[in-house]
Amino acid sequence: MSDPDRRLTRRDFLRLGVLAPALPPLLSGALSACFKREKENAVNFFNWSAYIGKDTLPAFSRETGIKVNYDVYADEEEMFAKLRSGALGYDLIVPTDYLVPRLKAAMLIAPIPMEGLKNLHNIDKRFLHTPFDPQQEISVPYLWGTTGIGYNKKLVSKPPTSWRALWDEKYQGRICVLDSARECIGISLLLNGCDENTTSEKDFEAAKALLLKQKPLVKQYTSTTYVDSLVAGEAALAMAYSGDVLQAIKENPHLDYIIPQEGSFLWMDCLCLMRGAPHPEQALQLIDYLLRPEVSADISNTVRYGTPNASARSQIEPTLRHDPRCYPPSSVMSRLRYHTPPDSEAYSLWNETWSDVKAL
Amino acid sequence: MKRRPTAPRRKKAPQRGGLWGATEKLSRLRKTNGLLAYCLGLYGFLYLPLAVMVAFSFNGARRNVVWTGFTFKWYASLFHNAEMARAMATTLEIAVAASVMAAAMGMLAAYAMTRHAPFRGRGLYAALLNAPLMMPEIVMGVGLLSFFSRVGLPLNFWSLACAHALIALPYTTGSIRARLLSLKDSNLEDAAMDLGATEWQAFRQITLPLARPAIISGALLAFTVSFEDFVTTFFIAGIGIVTMPIKVYSMMKFGVTPEVNALASCLLVLTIIALTINRTLVKETKS
Amino acid sequence: MLAPASLWLLAFLILPVASLLILGFTHRGAFGACEWVFTWDNFRRAMDVKYLPIMLRTVSYAGTATLLCLLLGYPLAYFLSFQAGKRRDLFLVLLMIPFWTSCLVALYSWIIILGREGLISHLLMRLGIISKPASFLGTPAAVILGLVYFYLPFMVLPLYAALEKIPRTYVEAAHDLGAGKFEAFRKVTFPLSMPGVMAGVILTFVPCMGDFLSADFLGSPRTYLVGNLIQNQFLMVQDWQFGSALTSLIVLFLITGLWARHIFEEQGVFEGEGEE
Repeated sequence: MSDPDRRLTRRDFLRLGVLAPALPPLLSGALSACFKREKENAVNFFNWSAYIGKDTLPAFSRETGIKVNYDVYADEEEMFAKLRSGALGYDLIVPTDYLVPRLKAAMLIAPIPMEGLKNLHNIDKRFLHTPFDPQQEISVPYLWGTTGIGYNKKLVSKPPTSWRALWDEKYQGRICVLDSARECIGISLLLNGCDENTTSEKDFEAAKALLLKQKPLVKQYTSTTYVDSLVAGEAALAMAYSGDVLQAIKENPHLDYIIPQEGSFLWMDCLCLMRGAPHPEQALQLIDYLLRPEVSADISNTVRYGTPNASARSQIEPTLRHDPRCYPPSSVMSRLRYHTPPDSEAYSLWNETWSDVKAL
Repeated sequence: MKRRPTAPRRKKAPQRGGLWGATEKLSRLRKTNGLLAYCLGLYGFLYLPLAVMVAFSFNGARRNVVWTGFTFKWYASLFHNAEMARAMATTLEIAVAASVMAAAMGMLAAYAMTRHAPFRGRGLYAALLNAPLMMPEIVMGVGLLSFFSRVGLPLNFWSLACAHALIALPYTTGSIRARLLSLKDSNLEDAAMDLGATEWQAFRQITLPLARPAIISGALLAFTVSFEDFVTTFFIAGIGIVTMPIKVYSMMKFGVTPEVNALASCLLVLTIIALTINRTLVKETKS
Repeated sequence: MLAPASLWLLAFLILPVASLLILGFTHRGAFGACEWVFTWDNFRRAMDVKYLPIMLRTVSYAGTATLLCLLLGYPLAYFLSFQAGKRRDLFLVLLMIPFWTSCLVALYSWIIILGREGLISHLLMRLGIISKPASFLGTPAAVILGLVYFYLPFMVLPLYAALEKIPRTYVEAAHDLGAGKFEAFRKVTFPLSMPGVMAGVILTFVPCMGDFLSADFLGSPRTYLVGNLIQNQFLMVQDWQFGSALTSLIVLFLITGLWARHIFEEQGVFEGEGEE
C-alpha cells in the first residue's frame, strides 16, 4: 500500500476475501512454530490460589528435581473458561467435585493411572468412589470442606443457626453471598424442599424468587472477598466456605463459622490430569507426593480445610483436628452431601437462573 | 485531514517587559487563582487513592482495611518474594516486546498517513487505528480469547505481546504522527529529496532521527499501557504468564496484603520516572 | 508501510471482534459448547424486556459519568491550555500518573477510603455529621465515582488537545472587538473546542458502557451493569453465545460513536498531545 496512487478496487476486495480465511491458520502456524515449548523436566500445576503449603512445592522440587510451573486461579468457572478456550498445556488442575464430570464431558481431563500412585491407600475410604467419580478413575481427592455461614460475632445479636439468617432483614446490606450458581441455587432448592436433581422449571422459578427476595439485603455476591468484609465489619454474615473463615479466625477471633441446621453441602477438590498433558509422568509423581501423610497434613494445617488423607490425621494440629468447624462430628456429617453433577439440560437451567438472579 | 490555514500551534507571545507586563502578570495571576484552586482540588481527588495506597504500604496489619501501625516489613518481604519477582520480569518482558512492536508499526503507519497521498477511506483508517483506544476492554479480551481458541493460536508470551502491541498502537501512532506533521511543515525531507536523496535515504537520514524523540515517547506510553493492562491480559494470558496486574487481581480476590501496596508504590515511582523521561524527550523535540 | 499495522488491526481487532459477532448467532450446545447452527435466539434474549432495567442503568451511569467528566474536566483542560504556562508539563505529567497506575490498586484504595472503617467515614464522624461508622460502598454514587476517576483523563486529554489548537489570535480578536471574557469563551473558545468535546465524550462514554471493574468492586448487586452481565456470561455461566450477543450491542455503540465522530471531523484523537 505504499504506492500513493493505488486505490483499492473491487477486485482487490475479492482477492482479500479469498485470502482472509487462510490468514489465521497461517498466522497461528507461524507463531506456534516459532515458540514451541521445549520438553523439560517440569510439571504445570494449575491450582486455587492460596491452596497449598508454604514449602510444599519447593520441597517437591528439591527432592525430585522436577520444576513446578505453578499458576493459580481465584474462581474455577474462570479456570474452566480458560481451559475451554484453549489454554492447553497444564498437567494438573484442582476442580471441585461437580466440575469433574463436566471436564470429562468436555474432553479436558484424562483417566489417571491409579496403579502408579503408591500413596493412594492413605485416602479415607469414605472419600473414594463418590457420586462424581464412581469408578475412581479420573480424580484423586485433595482437600474437602463445607459450605456454611461465616459471621462477625460483634455484629450479630445471636449466632445464626439457619440459612434463613441470610434472609434476615435486620442485616440489610451486610450480607455477603457466594457468587456461585451451585451453592446459591442448591441452598434455595434445599430451603424450598425441592430435589437437587430437578429439571422442573417451576422449581427453578421458585428458587429464583427466593434468591431475588434475598437480593435487596445482599451487600455483594462474591466467592472471595467476603472474608475481608467480615473482618472489616462491612458484612455481618456471609455464605462461606469453611477453610476461608477458619484461616481468618487465626488472626481475627471475633469471626465464627457454622453449618446450618437444614443441612448443607460438602465438597471435594480433586487432582485431575489434563488430557494431552505434556508431562504426565511428572504430574503423577506430584500427585503421589501430595498424598504423603506429612505433606497432606501440612497443607491442611496451612489452608484450614479438611484433608481426605486418613494417615495424615495424627499430624494435624490438635486444635484443628478437634475443631468441629473443620472436621464436623458424624451427627453433622450426616446432614451434609455432595452436589449432584447436573446433566447438560439441568446445567443450562442452573446457569440461566443464576445469571438472571444477578442481572434482574 | 483538514488543517486550519493558520498555524495551529501556539506561538509564544513576545515577553512584554516593564511595569505594564508586571501588572498584567499580577492581574492574570489573580484571575487564575480560582481556576488554579479548582484544578488543585481535582488533582487532590486524583491523588487521594494513590496517597492512601502509599500510606497503607506502611500499615502493620495483614488485612489491609484497618490501620494498626507503621512498618517497613512489606517492602522487605516484597524483595524476597520470588513469585513477585517472576511476575515483574514477565510484565517487563511483555511490555518491552509490545512497545517495540507498537513503536515500529506506529512509525510506519504514521509515515504512510502523513507523507503519502491520501487514499480513499483514510479518515476511516485513522479512526480504525484509534479504535483500540475506545474499545471497551472486555470486548477486546473476550474477542481475542474466542478468536484465538477458534483458530488455534496458542495463548503464550508472544500472542499476549502482540495483543498488547495492538492496544498500544493508537498511542504510538498518535504521538509519532503529531511529530511527523510538524516536521512536514519544515520541508526538510523535500529539501533532501530535491538534493537527490531517495525517499528511503530521506526517511533514514532525516525523518527517522528527527522523529526519534516522538518514537521513544510513544514507545514509553505503549510500555505503560502494556504494563498496566489488566482486563485483556486477564482473558488471554496463557500458562505461566502471570503479569503484575493479574497477580494483584488474584491477591485482591483474597484480600491484598500491604505487600501489594508496597509493590504498587514501587511501580508508581517507576511510572513517574518513565513519564518524566517522556516529557523531557517531548521538550527536547520542541527546541 | 501500512501493512504491519493493517495486519495487526486485522488479526487482533477486526477478526476477533467479527468472530465474536458470529458467535452471537450460533446455538449453544451441551455444557456451553458451540454448535454451528444459525439462530437469532441470543439477540432475542439480549433484547428481552427483562434486561431493560440493566440496560437503562448502564446508559444512565455511563451518561452521568461522562457528563461529570466533561464538567469536571473542561475547566482543567482550559487551565492546562490557557493558564498553566510553564507549569503545564508538570500538570500534564501529574494528570497522567494516576491514569497509568494499576486500576486495581486504585480500586482497592477507593474501597479503603469509602468503607465503613474508611477515611470518609472517620472524617464525617470526627466532624459530628454522622454518629456511627457508615459505608459508602455499594451505592450508585460509588460506581459512578469509580467511572469518573478512571475515565477523567480520557476526557481531559482530547479537550486539551482541541483547546491547544485554537489560535490565540482568535480569542484576542474577540477581546479586541469588545467581547467580555465570558462572551469570548462562549462565542469563540467553546465552539472551537467542540471537536475535543465530541472526542472526549465518545472516549469516555463507550468504555464506561463496557466497564465492569468499577461496579464489581465499588458497587452492590443493585448496581449490576451490562459489563458485569457480559463478564458473567463468559467467566461464570459459560454462555459465550449470549455474552457475544450482548457484546455486539456495545460494539454497535462504539461504531455509532466512531461514525458520528467521523462525520464530525476527521482527526486523530491524540494529535496535539505530546507536542507544543
